[in-house]
Order: sequence, then structure tokens, then C-alpha cells
Amino acid sequence: MALFKRIESAIDGSIGRRRLGYALLGLVILFFLWFPNDTSQSNYVKTVFISGFFYAILSSSWALLAGIAGQFSFGHMAFMGIGAYVAGLFARDGITFAALGIALTPESISSVGAIVIGTIVAGAVGLVIGWLLLRLRSAYLALFTIAFSELFRIAMLTEYDYTGGSNGLSLRPLLQVADVDTARQIEYYLMFALLIVCLLLMYRVAHSPIGMFLRAMREDEDAASALGVNVVRYKILIFVFTSMIVGLAGAIFYSDIGSERIIPEQLEVLQMSLIIAYAVIGGMESLLGAAAGAFISRYLLEAMREVVITLPLGLTLPDGSDAFVWETGAWRFALFGLVMVFTLRYMRNGLLYPILDWFSGRDLIMQETVSIRKSDDDVAADMEDSG
Amino acid sequence: MKNRSVTLTLILVVAILALMPFSVIRADGHCEFADEAIKIGGLVPLSAPGSVGGGVAMSWAFNRAVDDINADCGVQIGDQNYRLQIVIGDSEGSPERGQAVVERFILEDEVHAVSGVYHSAVGLATMGILDENGVPTVFSEPWNDNVSANGIMEYDGRPPRNADGVDHIFRISPASSMVGSVVVDWLLAEGVEDIVIIAENTDYGQPAAADELARFEAAGATVTQINVELGTEDFVPILSRIQARESAPDVVRILVTGETSFNLTQQMAELGIAPTEDTICVTNQFAFQSEQYWENVPDGNYCTFNRVGIIPSLFSDIAIGLNEAYFEEFEDIIPSFAMASYDALHIIADGMERAGTMSDGAAIVEAIESTDLDLSQGRYYFEYGNHNPDLPEGTPAFMWHQWPDPVVTMMQYFEPGQSSLDAAVIFPEVYQTHGTGYMAPGESP
Repeated sequence: MALFKRIESAIDGSIGRRRLGYALLGLVILFFLWFPNDTSQSNYVKTVFISGFFYAILSSSWALLAGIAGQFSFGHMAFMGIGAYVAGLFARDGITFAALGIALTPESISSVGAIVIGTIVAGAVGLVIGWLLLRLRSAYLALFTIAFSELFRIAMLTEYDYTGGSNGLSLRPLLQVADVDTARQIEYYLMFALLIVCLLLMYRVAHSPIGMFLRAMREDEDAASALGVNVVRYKILIFVFTSMIVGLAGAIFYSDIGSERIIPEQLEVLQMSLIIAYAVIGGMESLLGAAAGAFISRYLLEAMREVVITLPLGLTLPDGSDAFVWETGAWRFALFGLVMVFTLRYMRNGLLYPILDWFSGRDLIMQETVSIRKSDDDVAADMEDSG
Repeated sequence: MKNRSVTLTLILVVAILALMPFSVIRADGHCEFADEAIKIGGLVPLSAPGSVGGGVAMSWAFNRAVDDINADCGVQIGDQNYRLQIVIGDSEGSPERGQAVVERFILEDEVHAVSGVYHSAVGLATMGILDENGVPTVFSEPWNDNVSANGIMEYDGRPPRNADGVDHIFRISPASSMVGSVVVDWLLAEGVEDIVIIAENTDYGQPAAADELARFEAAGATVTQINVELGTEDFVPILSRIQARESAPDVVRILVTGETSFNLTQQMAELGIAPTEDTICVTNQFAFQSEQYWENVPDGNYCTFNRVGIIPSLFSDIAIGLNEAYFEEFEDIIPSFAMASYDALHIIADGMERAGTMSDGAAIVEAIESTDLDLSQGRYYFEYGNHNPDLPEGTPAFMWHQWPDPVVTMMQYFEPGQSSLDAAVIFPEVYQTHGTGYMAPGESP
């Protein structure tokens, strides 16, 4: 502890925590930029990373919606699905606006165009849902969004003629690259770039006056409203914003970037609870924490599919092998659940939040504030004594 | 001198005879394996949202097949015996996870072949990667027609897999269309003309109802379709609509799954709608789990149901042994997808042996196309492939690289509390066990 304090003082007295944090973040970004060029890594690991980036977007956007804005929604996966399904259906069937005399044939819609349409529709649905949710809070909001999410999932499941039912809907591939290695490299960078852009956008919102209004609404909606915060506008705005982000992520990911088809089971409440769990483990009130929590959790869940324990001292099993292989199956989710229980009981701000908090230097500001208050209190006490 | 030769010869003969059993034991129990093993990837759902029960049964069957094959000295390629090794991967029933697991199989585990797949969505999402990477694959459960049809037909904008001259994907589970036709063919053979279909409002019930409705109407029959929500417990209002008809229907066909199908069948029987002298009761394949069926549907005697997978009365010695082992482990009758998974590994191993390679995908595919093996579900062969590429007119594209004979039958209980092992197989005629196509209530075989 003393050693840690000494290192802490040394950092504070030299480079400073915040700068060190930025430097480390830069190194992490450089690592992710370099990673696909590591020839020792197979495309499988890149696939796991791509999936990690996707879930990082979902989790961090949910952290913005629930952790920062206080809108505890279970509809996030549904909005992701709306983006993906709409993009797939538009690219496959096109659309006709008879009243306007406009007919968009599938041939006239590019993959990018379909993704844009999917994103806009996700935002439009977010607008409607956000408006409907205006008067709902806490448990009622959660129940409403669960109902909406299930409604959408069941519609996708039963309208099999259009959506493919449980066989899923195949989206038009976004990339047409014949070489598998090159394709995977591009997919990797595309998903990573999307994550960075989404994080920057969300960070911009969270650290703008809008972000302050959202936090004020989270703490006390009535008080915020009394202080002049346009609760209606910002509640709808944050729903539309996060819906468009996950809609875009879903439309891109399922356009053969991370997966070649989306299925209704992907929209189940169970999948939504995983997104929430990633955010809780990483830190609900930190976009970066939620994103890192999702990425690390996805990676570990994948790595733990098969646990290999090599026997020591040259021991062997009856079949002659020197290692015990445990196919974890669903057990890895049970272990994940244990981590979640630990986090909720002992580290409610998330496992990564203390680290990010330390780098932010907020505790220094807090100490400074406390000491100023204390000295003010001492001065007041002295004045009282002398008076 | 002569006596000594005779004595020596006798000693030699006795010694050979005495050592023979040991040499046999050595061959059976102490096979010499090459250092390298043949790895097969088993893609099954082992966690939600996948069907975990199905995945567990398939994993069990894979391990059983590996044990049996290795006990028989593995796979012989050239003069070497190779141990078979199964690498199980959890698809979670999700195309995205299925694709990732298949990539892991190919790139990390370096498997030589793949089998399994329970959910069609996973099969449809992974078949392209497996084919592009030249991995011989025998799917053991996905039903979607396009899984095999994509071998020679474009699907979802993707060109036929066989466009490059080799299609690495085979299927030994039935295609959906193969299952749907059996119920309709049987009922039409029984002369029904007025049919009520009660279908659950899901992707199982609705397409199945649409398929059967089209077949019935094409044959000139009248069909009334009633949709129900899965999980409904009180069906009396719906059943009252059937009771209120001027004449009883010839058949009530239930396309509802699980507990809900039991509730519906029991309430239908209690109300005296079916089975009756006038109306045939056709419930779904869940009725094959006889213990659960009789517990929930005590009035369900004389109901009929369809069954996918070989019927118990036709079980071969392999199937009997497999069923006994499965019963010991799970206390239930072995499902068809577990048998198919067991058989799939034998088909792959046989293909490798005949091709004389474990790594040349094209050669293994060529060998699998000419498979002729008797296994737990019957005789396996593939009628259409590059060995016989021209499908006759009228033959559906899903018959490509498809085992043509998965057994789909109609069965009927004719005694209360009867085990499904003793229930009558009534259709197709070739499988009939009690010499009858249907027994009206009160009749016996």
C-alpha cells in the first residue's frame, strides 16, 4: 500500500494521472490497430474481436441511456434488431411509396443505403417509444420496454414469410472481397472504427450541457424540470440517439461483417440481460468502462469455452493425455453470473470504474474540495470561538 | 525321429491354438494408434438461446461413436490406425456464435471434418464457411430444405456450393418437406375430406400448417385453420367452435408443441371431439414420449402422431445397444438426432478410410457420396451428388447430398398407458407393425 502511495505521488508529481491515462488509452488503440497485422493470430481471434467491438457499442450505448440518463430500458436489443431487419428487408424487397409515386427496387438500394435506412428507422421507432415513455419511470419503463422488445421479437419470429422466422434473415453483404484474410482485416477495422466513432459521439453528448441535463434528470426528474431542463426533449433525444447507434451497429454487424444472418432469438430478454451485465461489470456510468467490460467479457466467455488444465509432475489421465479438458458449455455463463454478483455486492460502480476513476483524478479533486471545506469550517469555527 | 516331428508339430499346433485368443485380444483391446489423431468438430447447442437438451444428447452420441470407433482400432488410413477425437463446440443456437465456433474448429483446432448442428439457422450460416474451407461435413439435425438444396441451387444470393465442382456438405436428417408430406399422404389415404388444423402461432406451427393446408387443398379437401398461442392452458373456447359445427370434422390435426399440445389434446378428448368414430385425432410427435403423454393426456387413447426417426420395432442391434446406453444415461428413449449424430461420425470415418486420407476434403467427399453403410437408423447412401449429378425432373433440389430414407412414420396408441415402444406404426404401409392403417376407438389390431 505504501509502495502504491509512493508510485501514486510520483505520477501525480510528474506526468499526472490524466495524461498517463490518455497515454495508456493511446497504447490500447495502437494495439488494436496493430493486432490484425500480427500474422500469428488466426481469423478466428479477429472474429472474436469483431464481436467484442459490436457488443462494446451495444453496452456503452446502454450505459449512456441507463447509467447516465437514468432510462432503464430493456429495448436496446430490439432497436439493434430493427436496424438489422429493416436493412435486410429493404435490400431484399425494396419499397414502394405509392402516394408519392416512388418505387425503390432492391437493385437500386446499395448495402450502405440499406444500412442508412435501417439506422433511420431504428431512430424513428426510438422517437415513438421515447414519446410513449415520457410518463413512465423505473419499473414501469423497464416493463414497457420488455413488452416492446418481446413484441418485436415475436413479430420477427412469426412473420416467417418475410423475416425467415427462426431460420433468420440474411442481410446483403456489405463487403465484396474474395480473399478471406483481406476481408476479415477490413471487417475488423470497420467494426473498430465504428466503435471509436460511436464512443466519441457518445462521449461528446455525455460531456456536453446535454449530458449534464441527462444526469440531472437521472438524479431527480422533477427537480431538473423545475430548474428549467426540458425533460421531454432530452428524454426523447437520448432514446433516438442511442436507438440510432445500436440500429447502425446491428445493420453493419449482420451485413456479413460479424454474422451473415440475424435470428429473433438474438433479441431475447436473455441477450439483453447480457448487455446489461457487461455494462454493470465494466461500469454503468462510464462509457469507456461499459465498452471495455463488454469487450473483455466477450473475449473471456469465448476463451473459457474450453478450459485446459495441464497435469503437473508428468501425471497422466487414464486415456494417456497429460491435460484435463473441461468443455464449459453453459457453466461459463454461471461463472460470469458469479462475477456479476460480486460486482453488484462489492463494486457497484463496476470492476473497471475504480481504475478509470483513478486515472481521471477525480479523487484528487474530491480531496481538494474536502480540504477546502474543512479549512472553511475551521475558519468558521475559529471565528465563532473568537466571536 | 518321426515321433519327435509329430510331437513337435502337436506342441506347435497347441501353442498356436492357445495363443490365438490372446492375439485376438491384442488386436481388439490394444490397437496401435498413430501419434496424430483425426479431429472431428461437433457443433451443438449447449447454452441458451439454443436447445440445450438437444445439444447434450448429440454430444453424448458423438462421444459414444468416438468410443466405439476407437475401440475398433480407430480409422485405418494406409497402414496406420488413427484415433478419432471429437471437439465439441457450443453454437448457443445462434448463427453468429456458430460461425465463430466453426472458424475456431478450422483455424485453431484444425479439425478434419465437422458434424452436428441442431438449429437450421446455424446450419444455414455455417455451411458456406465449411464448404469454402473444404471441410467435409455431415449435418445430423437441421431440417431446412435449403441446407442441402444450396448444393445445387442459389440461396439468399449465394451461389450453389457445387459451382466449383465439390460440395462438402451432406445431411442425414430429414428436410422439412419430407416430414410434412407423410401426415397428409396418410390422411388422404384414409379418405379424409374435412380437416381442422389447430396450429400454434410460431415459426414451427405456421409454416407447417401452411404446407399441410396447401397439400390438402391441392387434393380437393376442405381445411379450417385455427391459430392458438403457445402457453395457452384453456382451449375450451376454441374447441367449442369445433363442437358448434353442423358436422364433425374428419380429422383434427394438432400442430402445437410441448406441454401446450398435451393440454389441447386432453381437453379435446375430454370434450369428445377427437378421437371418436367420426373424427381422427392427430397430435404431434411429442406424444412419442409416452410417460409424459399418459401423465398429461390420460384420455388420449387412439390418438395418432407422427414420429421422425427409426421406429423401435425396426431397431437394429446397433440401435438397440445405443438406445439401452442412452436410456441408462438419460432414462428416456433415444431421439433421432442422437442416433443421427452417432451415425454421422461413422459415415465420416468410413469415408476417410475409403478415401485413404483424412485431409483431402475433395477425396473424402467423393468417398462419402458413395457411402453404403448399415448403422443405427438404417442403410445410409446418398442418391444424388457428383457421382449422380442429374436430378430427374420433379425431384426437389433438397435431395442433393441428402440421405433419402430418414424414417418418418405415423403411429397410434391403442391401449391406455401404452409405451411408445409398443404403439402401432400405421403409415407408411411398408413400416406397419400391426397390419392396419388406422384403428377407430374401440378397435384393436
